[in-house]
Amino acid sequence: MLAVCVCRCTQCPLEGVDSTSASVLSRCFTRISPVSAILAALCREGHREAETRVPRCCRNLVLHPSDMLSRLVFVSASALKSSGPIGAGVVHASRCLHTSSQSLAPVPPLPEKGGKVRHGIIPEELFQLLYPKTGVTGPYMLGAGLLLYMLSKEIYVINHETFAAASIGAVIIYGVKKFGPSVGAFADKLNEEKVAKAQEVKDVAMSSLTQAIDDEKKEQWRVEGRAMLFDAKRNNVAMLLETNYRERLHMVTNDVKRRLDYQIALQDLNHRLEQEHMINWVEKSVISSITPQQEKESIAKCITDLKALAKATQAKATA
Amino acid sequence: MAGRRAALKAIDWVAFAERVPPNQRTMFNNLKTRSDAIAAKLTSLPEKPLAIDWSYYRSVVAKAGMVDEFEKKFSALKVPEPVDTQTTIINAQEEEANKSATAYVEASKARIAQYEKQLEKFKNMIPFDQMTIEDLNDTFPETKLDKEKHPYWPHKPIADL
Repeated sequence: MLAVCVCRCTQCPLEGVDSTSASVLSRCFTRISPVSAILAALCREGHREAETRVPRCCRNLVLHPSDMLSRLVFVSASALKSSGPIGAGVVHASRCLHTSSQSLAPVPPLPEKGGKVRHGIIPEELFQLLYPKTGVTGPYMLGAGLLLYMLSKEIYVINHETFAAASIGAVIIYGVKKFGPSVGAFADKLNEEKVAKAQEVKDVAMSSLTQAIDDEKKEQWRVEGRAMLFDAKRNNVAMLLETNYRERLHMVTNDVKRRLDYQIALQDLNHRLEQEHMINWVEKSVISSITPQQEKESIAKCITDLKALAKATQAKATA
Repeated sequence: MAGRRAALKAIDWVAFAERVPPNQRTMFNNLKTRSDAIAAKLTSLPEKPLAIDWSYYRSVVAKAGMVDEFEKKFSALKVPEPVDTQTTIINAQEEEANKSATAYVEASKARIAQYEKQLEKFKNMIPFDQMTIEDLNDTFPETKLDKEKHPYWPHKPIADL
């Protein structure tokens, strides 16, 4: 019974509730019993096969992360892994079958929503099937008739279990209707987080790779400029040589000039010394030639001259 | 005098500075300061020394013949040019640098090819929301759970969870 329920996982066993509620169910089941997980995997593969082989069942195969099957993949992956060998073997077998009859293209993405159902259990396909012959009310009449037949012929016997089943069913339907969407949103969020983390890793990796490529290119460009360094060095050497040469020239010229100037200075010095010596000698000889007699005469003469001068100035002063 | 000096190549210091990586900037600055000092010294020296006024000396210096002798010897004198020992060394350095530069460029190109390969892989991979666990293990082999080493769930050391 459980297995049957889970098997229909893509066709939502409860109508009016979106696929979230069914995922809750299946998740519960897979958590509790790995066996149903295996069956879920089988059904998933079977559904995928069915989807690809029977196109009329495919609705738009639009990708959507909140698809219950992808939730199954992520949230119950752990349950699957515990039943590793069997599940894996089954998955691989179906994969091989799948690819041998078709191209080796990767499996198309899972459909966004499960197959449409009416009243939560009955697939829409039945209604479409019966529509041409019996119109809109056909399947309902079929259902009512079947129910009536089973009750009246006592193929299904009403007993205590019936009421228990009805009460449990009511509670379950109420619970799923009330809490289904929030739980589904929570599972979706978990999924989104995982995908976002992986996406972030990928983005960071890509940006760092492009950055690394740019850096390498820049370094290559830098390396191209190495000739300038050596040109600078050679220039320096040439400039130093030139400077040295000019210094030598200047040194030579300056030295020659210095020597010539020295000669000139020497000459001048000699000339000056001779002059001074001569003057001194002349002075000395003149002084030594003055006799005492001459000295007295000259002093007397000086005195008489002075007296005369004094008289003259006195006369000038009084006059 | 002519032909002695190799023409000084004009160096574009600005373009040179652009190509210097940041970790060699101090060395570049030192080189620039040194080069500038040398150039300044060169420009400060006049190219030819001042000519000696022989007629003046001849008229002043009394010793006969001394000035003539000086003049003769001076004009006959050839100042030797300084020998260039470094250019060959610099050329050898340049050869080496070229070799190592080509090697580096080769290695760099190999690295770029590697990076581009990885980039291609990232670009061509299917979006995460369309992957199954097997696709994930194919694209990122490190995510594959080693079932032989850790046969029991969760197939990886608990610390890694």
